[in-house]
Amino acid sequence: MDEIVTFERVLWGFMVFLNGGLLVLLVYRKNHWVVPFFFAYVLFNFLQCFILFGSYRIWGFNSPVSSRMAWGTQIFVSIARALAVAQICDRVLAKYQGIWALARRLLAATAAVVLLYSWAIARGSWQFAVLNANRGMELMIASVIVILFLFTRYYGVAVEPAIRALAAGFFLYSCFFVLNITILEGWMYDYAKLWNLLGTLAFVASLLLWNWALSRKLPDTTFEPVMLSNGVYRAFAPEINDRLKTLNEHLEHFCRAERNRS
Amino acid sequence: MSLFFYSFFGLIGLFLLVFAWSARNPRGPVPPSSRVGASDECGRRHITYLPQIRQAFAKSDYEFLSKNASRDTVRRVRRERRRVALAYLSGLHENFQSLLRMARVIAVLSPELDAVHEFERLRLTAKFAWQYEMIRWKLLAGVAPVPQLNGLSDLVSGLSVRMEAAMKELGERAAVAAELASSMNRRGLDVV
Repeated sequence: MDEIVTFERVLWGFMVFLNGGLLVLLVYRKNHWVVPFFFAYVLFNFLQCFILFGSYRIWGFNSPVSSRMAWGTQIFVSIARALAVAQICDRVLAKYQGIWALARRLLAATAAVVLLYSWAIARGSWQFAVLNANRGMELMIASVIVILFLFTRYYGVAVEPAIRALAAGFFLYSCFFVLNITILEGWMYDYAKLWNLLGTLAFVASLLLWNWALSRKLPDTTFEPVMLSNGVYRAFAPEINDRLKTLNEHLEHFCRAERNRS
Repeated sequence: MSLFFYSFFGLIGLFLLVFAWSARNPRGPVPPSSRVGASDECGRRHITYLPQIRQAFAKSDYEFLSKNASRDTVRRVRRERRRVALAYLSGLHENFQSLLRMARVIAVLSPELDAVHEFERLRLTAKFAWQYEMIRWKLLAGVAPVPQLNGLSDLVSGLSVRMEAAMKELGERAAVAAELASSMNRRGLDVV
């Protein structure tokens, strides 16, 4: 335990305090029924802190056993994290059947491509296998959140402020994690100590954001819009696209005029 | 360090930019002039002034002026034509945005979407936005010559009657949906 410097210990304590506070807040505001996967994620994180604390006390901070414990428990935390993000997507778009079906396919394809990209360019050695897997997962989470918000922006779907803050917390931490691991991969030994510290700081920032977002009760269900019949879309989508094409042609008229003059 | 190593930084930078842009609060309430359905009124306004606009942009008119008017007058006419061209461009943009809003409302309220139509619309939107900005900046800078605007009459008169009626009905629904969305944004909450 002595290897962990005092500032890190204080920061770790603060992180555990915020994590515990978030759990209490989730249960107190009854939000654990509204976002159960997020609750599970926070709970797993909280439990992981105690498991790691115990293993560092028994086997020491730099022992291989502690390292295996840390990465072993991280698998459960990462899965819960991915499920919590999936739940955010569901909460935002599921009430709009059409765009949700389209978004699901697009999000799944994006996630698969990003995972493949991440694996393809990762270093081959086993030393980095766990780190690479984690980086792939975090990159996937970040890309899914970006696509989700692009969808909501494009279709003008309103996102609850609390859900937006939850997503922002996940996104910022994921981005930071990817950068952090990439730097760690490049300058492994020089950067290892700082890597732990910066990772904790980024997570503390996300926890603060989540605590603020969940300080109020989330509505159990959001409003259900009345859907149009399927025929309306089939009839109008091609016609509107044709009119948009016509407007584009009108715009091209300007370009043609310019070319003719020159 | 490999190129791939730096690609992670580039990718994250891109993600951060896109996220900052897309996660912002949507714009405030839709101004009445840009609402869905307002395009009809806008089209009618264009029709009212169409003869004058076409006259002003006629090649013969311009040639006549070049021969008979002073250089200052020709320059002023050119400047005014440029202003009309910008207004025409803005009208096209307004029409495009109005149609896009309607298409989005229909898509959001439809139980099933066709990915081909959606991506086609996205492609057309990107193409329009790019061309619009290029032409606008060129006109503002005085680099682009002012076109003849022959297509103006097609724009305002080439709309099918069936589409107009149906669009009007959908426009009313869309306006209600836009109102609902903007009131939700004002309150910062979803309707429960």
